[in-house]
Amino acid sequence: MILEKIKTHKLIALVTVLYAGLLIFLPEKAMSAFANTGYYLKEMIQIMPVIFVLTVTIETWVPKETITKKLGDQSGIIGNLLSFILGSISAGPIYAAFPICKMLLKKGASITNIVIILSSWAVIKVPMLANEAKFLGPDFMATRWILTLISILAMAYVTTFIVKKKDLSTNETSSDPSVLFEIKSAYCIGCGVCTKLAPTYFEMKNSKGQLKTVPTKKEASEEIFIAIENCPTKAIQYYG
Amino acid sequence: MDLFTKILWGISIILIVISLKKDANKTKDSMKKSRSMMKNMIGEIIAILFMIGLILAFIPADTVERLLGGSNLILSTIAAAIIGSVTLIPAFVAFPLVGSFVNIGASIVPAVAFLTTLTMVGVVTFPLEKQTFGLKFTLVRNGLSFLFALIIALGMGVFL
Repeated sequence: MILEKIKTHKLIALVTVLYAGLLIFLPEKAMSAFANTGYYLKEMIQIMPVIFVLTVTIETWVPKETITKKLGDQSGIIGNLLSFILGSISAGPIYAAFPICKMLLKKGASITNIVIILSSWAVIKVPMLANEAKFLGPDFMATRWILTLISILAMAYVTTFIVKKKDLSTNETSSDPSVLFEIKSAYCIGCGVCTKLAPTYFEMKNSKGQLKTVPTKKEASEEIFIAIENCPTKAIQYYG
Repeated sequence: MDLFTKILWGISIILIVISLKKDANKTKDSMKKSRSMMKNMIGEIIAILFMIGLILAFIPADTVERLLGGSNLILSTIAAAIIGSVTLIPAFVAFPLVGSFVNIGASIVPAVAFLTTLTMVGVVTFPLEKQTFGLKFTLVRNGLSFLFALIIALGMGVFL
């Protein structure tokens, strides 16, 4: 049990050990390390509620569904713009964007737009811009934002020139055909939304969502589909 | 609290009040979702902040200035871009980390290269990306991202 905890919180364990050692052998250094940390903790606590509110407001009011329908090959500049918006308003690390982009590709989104979504998802998320401006200054943030925007557009078009749709692997089948539901744990960011929305089917294990039982098509209730839809990384697969 | 943070707080309070007024239930649902996502990150964030404190206590400012201060800009920028590519820490804590290095004398050019490759180039997530999109797409996207991270960094050096 304790070993498992240490495994899932490697970094926390490491930091604790380092500080404990430092306190014993170099208490003076430890004190200055604490003082440095205190400063950053204070700054971080000040900016956290802002990032939280921005994430919540975007989540509540931006119609992501409508945006995703307009990203096809013929979508042109409007499609590019919507891709920038979609990437910028999302939450989570870049690998969380992979399954979502995969789904968009299947729905017909162009490679250009997929590159724009992935890149802007990575570097120009709105809540993070607030964070960047706080720690590095508004000038720094604004200049980097503009340069990044131009770069992403250039990258998207170069990629489209080199990579064609047939180069993308799209084998998307369950390993076992009798299994209807599956969680791709590599995509799971452990947010716990599924366990809250559908506690009958999902549980958390080692900070990852897991299926308690795999229902058949008949057994599956509305609950599980609500969870699938609300999974922020679309990690829950339904092969129906 | 500095003026900039105060302004952000003002905007946030207005936003959340409007959102709650327009649709309290929908807002509360999103709050629950965002809260559980953040709760999972918080331990790691705090741990990394303590790491920053530790690093700053041990690395003297003049070493940072000598290595990253702009005397060997090209080398330090490429090194920063490579380190950013192989590191996987949340962007969330990357800003205070980079900010602390800039404050004690690092040039912004390697700083920007690090920030950009950190989030855009993923060596650790490469297998996952390859599995999702195929090898060619993944190579091209990561390669271009690395190249453009350097361009963005140099651009920052010119403009700021």
